[in-house]
Amino acid sequence: MSEEKSYEEKLAEFEARIERGEKIEPGDWMPDEYRRQLIRMISQHAHSEVVGMLPEGAWIPHAPTLRRKMILIAKVQDEGGHGQYLYHAAESLGVDREELIEALLEGRAKYSNVFNYPTLTWADIGMIGWLVDGAAIKNQTMLAHSSYGPYSRAMVRICAEETFHYKQGKEMITIYAKGTPEQRQMAQDALNRWWWPALMMFGPHDSDSPNTPVLMRWKVKTKSNDTLRQEFVNEIVPEFLALGLEIPDPDLHYDEESGNWIIGEIDWDEFWRVIRGNGPMNRDRLAARREAHEQGAWVREALEAYAQRQAQAEKN
Amino acid sequence: MRDTQWPRYEVFKQDRPDKPHEAIGTVHAPDPEVALLNARDVFVRRPECYNMWVAPESAVFKMTAYELETIPNWWEEDLPEDAAEQTYYIFNKQTQRRSMVAVTHVGEIKARSEREALRKAIESGQFVRKQAYMWWVVPESAITSSDEEDVLSMFEPAKDKTYRDQSYYTGRVFARRSQRRPEDIPLS
Ligand SMILES: [Fe+2]
Ligand SMILES: [Fe+2]
Repeated sequence: MSEEKSYEEKLAEFEARIERGEKIEPGDWMPDEYRRQLIRMISQHAHSEVVGMLPEGAWIPHAPTLRRKMILIAKVQDEGGHGQYLYHAAESLGVDREELIEALLEGRAKYSNVFNYPTLTWADIGMIGWLVDGAAIKNQTMLAHSSYGPYSRAMVRICAEETFHYKQGKEMITIYAKGTPEQRQMAQDALNRWWWPALMMFGPHDSDSPNTPVLMRWKVKTKSNDTLRQEFVNEIVPEFLALGLEIPDPDLHYDEESGNWIIGEIDWDEFWRVIRGNGPMNRDRLAARREAHEQGAWVREALEAYAQRQAQAEKN
Repeated sequence: MRDTQWPRYEVFKQDRPDKPHEAIGTVHAPDPEVALLNARDVFVRRPECYNMWVAPESAVFKMTAYELETIPNWWEEDLPEDAAEQTYYIFNKQTQRRSMVAVTHVGEIKARSEREALRKAIESGQFVRKQAYMWWVVPESAITSSDEEDVLSMFEPAKDKTYRDQSYYTGRVFARRSQRRPEDIPLS
């Protein structure tokens, strides 16, 4: 029998494994802090997918064509699936999905701020696909390299599906931007309202993100909030401008030297206000989630009763 | 409110008859039948599924390479005298490359317990090309499979939903990705 290793030895071994690019799997030794950070991140991520179904789901009955309706239903279904992949990844760390869902329904859990803004026009559906899913993909592509096996696998599967979300949104906004003056105005209005919330999705500045150093050290994340945000801005700004849309940021400019599009300061007061539950839609989102959960209760009861009866019949 | 924490089932998806089953995640369900239905909804919204297995997560014996290395005599156990042999399905993961799959089905072994099955599988050398990072062992009796006749109703409909695929959108509306330099773009 070998001697039980000390915490420091185990930690050194763990970090060496991550350094070598190995995946950490359920069952492997990991520091409590790694587990805690992962549960925090993955559950927030799962909740975001589930709550993210609401702003878009609200437009399913109002889709202008059958094609658009099928696309939107498919996208919203995907987001529900993404939530399940992620709850699964969180459960591999020893929490119950039920605990996490309870925290969400009771308003104790965080999810992405962007879903606490209202979807006012049909053009918002296109803008969410392009801008919001675009920002999410940026983050998720990075997380697909995460050191934790189940998280990275969930991300690879999600990224493969997200590309369609992004493309259908970009298609819609491209058509609107090239369409009638009214359509063009709808696209511009949607961009005006979603631009800043989308940029806030990358989280606070690195200097205000206390979790970032440890997450990067353990390769849960491989890029910081500000780095990802800048990459995203550099990719998407030229595309909007090429369509003749205006970015609602008077300070936006191109910096020759760095090759970056530099944005003006984000309204962090608004960011924190929404996180603390005082965004335009926080209450509605939770109320809708709770209602859906309660309305599904009879289905769960029926399934449970059926399973029990089957089990009983098998015994006899 | 605690009414959804049903048992978890591991889901194994087979893309085509000539491909092995792959572990792709879990679903919660009150029984294996519903587990298969949930698995279809969660994991097969797109094409490429021929068959699916589900097995209660609690019946899946999992060991990582790290555990095999660090748990001394991991194979030791008290087997009852009359422990009978049964068939175990063996799965492992042989790559650290980016993947959506945890482990892949590599074969079966007859043994009296999951630990014995794993030890035999490793010692046989027939299930690993270079290295295995993770092993799962599942008793055959714990697996529920979808039927071949389910393919048409459960998996085929996804094939018509081409709009779920990003390739459906390319070229429809978009010109080629803008090659213009930023300074050429009017900042209207
Ligand atoms: Fe998603
Ligand atoms: Fe999405």
